[in-house]
Amino acid sequence: MITVDGLTHAFGATTAVDDVSLMIDDGEWVVLAGPNGSGKTTLVRHFTALLEPDAGMVRVNGTPAANDPVAARTSVGMVFQSPREGFVGATVGADVAFGPENLGLDHDEIDRRVDDALAAVNLDGRRDERIDALSGGEQARVAIAAAVAMEPDHLVLDEPFTGLDWPAQRSVLEHLDDRYAAGMSIIVVSHDLRDLFDRADRVIGLEAGSVRFDLSPDAARDRLPEIDVRPPS
Amino acid sequence: MAREETASIDLVDAETVRQLSAAVMLAALTAVLAQFSIDLPGGVPFSFQPFGVFVAGLLLGPVWGGFSISLYVIVGLAGAPVYSNAAAGLGYVLGPTGGFLAGFVVAVVVIGAVAHRSLTPTPISSLSVIPTAIALLAGLVVIYLIGLPWLATVNGWTLTRAASFMAPFVVGDLLKTAMTTGVVAGGTGLLADRR
Amino acid sequence: MLTYTPGSTLAHRLDPRTKLAFQFAFALVAFTASTAPQLFGVLVVGLGSLRLASVSIRAVLRAYRVVILILVLGPVVAAVTPGPPWLRLAPALISLRSVARIIPILFVSAAFIHSTPIRETRAAIQRTIPGRPGQLLGVGVGLTFRYVPVLRADLRTVRDAIRARNGDTRSLWERSQRLTVLLVDRALRRSDQLAVALQAHCFAWNPTLPRLQFSRLDIPVWLLSVGFVAVAVVDLLGL
Repeated sequence: MITVDGLTHAFGATTAVDDVSLMIDDGEWVVLAGPNGSGKTTLVRHFTALLEPDAGMVRVNGTPAANDPVAARTSVGMVFQSPREGFVGATVGADVAFGPENLGLDHDEIDRRVDDALAAVNLDGRRDERIDALSGGEQARVAIAAAVAMEPDHLVLDEPFTGLDWPAQRSVLEHLDDRYAAGMSIIVVSHDLRDLFDRADRVIGLEAGSVRFDLSPDAARDRLPEIDVRPPS
Repeated sequence: MAREETASIDLVDAETVRQLSAAVMLAALTAVLAQFSIDLPGGVPFSFQPFGVFVAGLLLGPVWGGFSISLYVIVGLAGAPVYSNAAAGLGYVLGPTGGFLAGFVVAVVVIGAVAHRSLTPTPISSLSVIPTAIALLAGLVVIYLIGLPWLATVNGWTLTRAASFMAPFVVGDLLKTAMTTGVVAGGTGLLADRR
Repeated sequence: MLTYTPGSTLAHRLDPRTKLAFQFAFALVAFTASTAPQLFGVLVVGLGSLRLASVSIRAVLRAYRVVILILVLGPVVAAVTPGPPWLRLAPALISLRSVARIIPILFVSAAFIHSTPIRETRAAIQRTIPGRPGQLLGVGVGLTFRYVPVLRADLRTVRDAIRARNGDTRSLWERSQRLTVLLVDRALRRSDQLAVALQAHCFAWNPTLPRLQFSRLDIPVWLLSVGFVAVAVVDLLGL
């Protein structure tokens, strides 16, 4: 469970997140919708204590994220915007193993997690391939596997479909459906809701760093234009 | 994961992660530039080799700049083809031109120390022309001070012979220090402050 | 280009720490070699290493062509004198003896590169250098290796973007500056993203270290390395 309480974050004179409060329950599928510059990315980075708030706080499973960043980062798996910018290993296996290695797990457990995570995104047996040789869709799935290998309770994806063709998008969505079915909460940050609307339990609309609405998909549909997000047809 | 299990994990602090990431990128940039040249009229190659070293010193300062160029040299020792002409390995480092690589590592520390007069770098936008130029020239002197005797030793030459062999390269290297000074401190606004 | 190539030769099966130690010990002994028999012995070991790793001499000569060119120029340039007799033999011989030591070192490092993946050298660094320096160097080496191809692609993008708008007609001065600035800017943006990604994956000082295991195969190579160092020390001390 992620609880955000009065969170405020400013970059110089710009307030990216302005007094935001919200709650995301275990096993929920939540879409954080908003136009470019609405503060979505800044907000989710606070979930894993990657930024220090100017005011307010984020709690992950009841513990303030800033007090125990390791607990926050193992409970909330992050898949960054344009994942190819965030790979830390030259090969698929090296990248997915990086997180579990940092947790100090033994080699057998690391191997098991890497294998399970790769199987979860249909990349079994491809540990030794170089990441740069993979297609965009495969790279997106490696990034998901790297987050899944931490065995988190929540998965946060920041604009996961940017630059992916339709089959690749569909494949990412199918794997998210599987994770959701397995009980993980899925939090997708996006300005394009076409494929997310039917899946989401809740849509949270952000604009200029503030929550404009927090509604079921059906109720949210009519409010999307007011935050400059195209409603799904 | 429960609290007691996470307590034993000693996270690397944010500042060190930031510096390590920058050092990695400049090491990789140095590797890429070492393979790149523009052909001048007459087919003379204009190599970009030293730009990475210059920028690493000016941007990261002596400590992390030195770490960055050490990474570059070690990755090459480990077998990645990152030295000029896509070479790698201990044989290259101990070979006739290996002294210039060793010179790079010392030079980046000198450049960082002279330009910033401190172990921690000041913002690059605060560097002015004269200290930047002096730092880069000092770095260049260091590169040749290590590279030339090394070349002389390996090839069994006198120091004068090694110096006359390398003389044509000095012109290009001086030009490159001037270019880098222009980029960093020339007031062209080309390199906005990113650190 | 000489790079790691998967295989199952004897050299491939050695622990990377053994190969690193052997390489440095061999370089030390090669540098102390000066008589013809010593130089011959060093050459035999160099060729033997190539053999054990299944690397052809031609591949080594091609990979190190520029280094070898400068080495070959050694005796030639050394022989030249300004004025009669124009060419002198004595300095050429001194140079020849000096450059002859380097060729076998090139052979051994080619064998190392061919048989050792970067990640094993990285593991050797993390397991040999204690504490935080070892961790930073090891992770740094892995990350640098990972980002070289990424930045190479950036270089191509930037160059094409400059060309596409006829930037090639600008002066060398302006072109070089623009290219350098654009590349540095991209590299720093990537560095910010990498820093966030490392932290999100709990980048720690005390991770599980990569697996490395000595085998019985390593013993003779270690003995040989120790022998090399002993010979070099005896030679250096003039015993």
